[in-house]
Amino acid sequence: MADIVNLFEVEPGQTVRLHGNATAEVVSNPRDGVWLFVRYLTSPDDPDQVGAEDMVFAQDVLELVTD
Amino acid sequence: MAITFQPSAYSGLVDQDNGMVSREIFVNADIYAEEQERIFTRAWLFVGHESQVAKPGDFFVSSMGEESVILCRDRQGEIHVFLNSCMHRGMKVCRYDEGNTPIFTCPYHGWSFATDGALVGVPFYKDAYHEELDKSQWSLIRVPKMVNYKGGIWATWDPNAPDFLDYIGGFKTYLDILFDGWDGSEGGTEIIGGIEKWMVPSNWKFPAENFIGDRYHNISHRSVDLVGIGPSGQGRRDNSEREGAKSLDVSFPERGHGTVMFLRPEHAQPVPSYQNDPIVADYFYQCEIARKERQGQLWRILAGPGTIFPNMSFLPRQPRSIAVWHPRGPDQTEVWRWFLVDRSAPPEVKEFLRQYYIRYSGPAGLTEQDDMENWNYAHSASRGAMARRHHYNYQMGMGYAVTDFEDGGLKLDGTVLDTTKARAGEQNQRGFYSRWREFMAARDWDELATWRNGNGSAC
Repeated sequence: MADIVNLFEVEPGQTVRLHGNATAEVVSNPRDGVWLFVRYLTSPDDPDQVGAEDMVFAQDVLELVTD
Repeated sequence: MAITFQPSAYSGLVDQDNGMVSREIFVNADIYAEEQERIFTRAWLFVGHESQVAKPGDFFVSSMGEESVILCRDRQGEIHVFLNSCMHRGMKVCRYDEGNTPIFTCPYHGWSFATDGALVGVPFYKDAYHEELDKSQWSLIRVPKMVNYKGGIWATWDPNAPDFLDYIGGFKTYLDILFDGWDGSEGGTEIIGGIEKWMVPSNWKFPAENFIGDRYHNISHRSVDLVGIGPSGQGRRDNSEREGAKSLDVSFPERGHGTVMFLRPEHAQPVPSYQNDPIVADYFYQCEIARKERQGQLWRILAGPGTIFPNMSFLPRQPRSIAVWHPRGPDQTEVWRWFLVDRSAPPEVKEFLRQYYIRYSGPAGLTEQDDMENWNYAHSASRGAMARRHHYNYQMGMGYAVTDFEDGGLKLDGTVLDTTKARAGEQNQRGFYSRWREFMAARDWDELATWRNGNGSAC
């Protein structure tokens, strides 16, 4: 099991793996430790999400894919 | 035993005819609780200054009565005032004094709100709420009325409150002196430095009435005058510009506002001030000339301390600042003090003023220390069972004010008490408590806007 991601340390441009096995690029980080602004790269459960920007909740961020 | 006060009881607590005010209104917890409902949810309150939220995303956490509010500028540049309380379980969504942010996130369950107040982030929105939660119905609570008047941000919780300038009435003359540039240019001020915040163990009305026109307590500051902290090396202010001036107490009792001021003689000329620094002295001298040219007769007004009902006080000249007396219980006031400078002033002038403000005002300022001591002990000595049986005396100058003041062609709005010879009066305080009584008794703004029935001066 991956370590809990410390959202304060996530930088724009990094890729995160999300709940539902989706991946997304971090667009910006409000640094509240709770939310990230991301753009979906893959989304097996909902392919229409790919390319869309959204806010993702900390508990939905499973791991950093790239550093 | 808790005492429940009916609206009719307030006329007995504020005895306008005899110039007496019951100590109960300062120390009674039930009256204090009523004030939160009847005054602080209905009056216009000072929230902050636009220069504190200059850029999109800037925020400043302020207070309206006891309640925390967020003053912020959204991504489109619009200024808003919101209740600082999450719509899910009420947690504060912002616990910083000020800063810049794209969103306000509640740390309890994670709901987050954009800087325009919209609910934008709901954890488990898809899985737990099944995307059925109507986010548009759960934005942060926004004040129904807000105004940016010359940089000052004011708000009220009452959608039926009159427009701000109607609320201010003829007192606008003195508010303009506070927010306009020293040369009279419109709204040319900005906040300098941080906001000083501290607690005073006293009811909020003590400082509010002190600033509305208490010339009588001058003796309290005698030690400061002896030290000579003023910007010309003497006293605590520059008093040479008051040479030959009339001393006037101006009250707008139908609105609760009041100020003390000095009225220069008709043919007065600018005099040197801020003599401790030649750059600063020249700046203010040139500003005075420009303002005299711009304002004509109104330039004669040397505005002093004042209070806008209920809890915003100010010093428009020396040291130029705003104070808000936030109620924190019947026995506690949280004081916030903002300091103003001309936006276009040279850095030397701003720094000179910053130093002067620090040594005059705030918890470490020599003058404000005197005041706090008075409010502290006056309050504590009024809480006892015996003390509460006796009213305060506000009889000074009763019956000597006029409503048609005119001097050398300059007519002044409001009720004016000439204190040039008397040196002090208490009509402004009587006006303040008269308005307090009206707020506590009135059902709504139809009753509170008494000037609409010809009582007092309309804007």
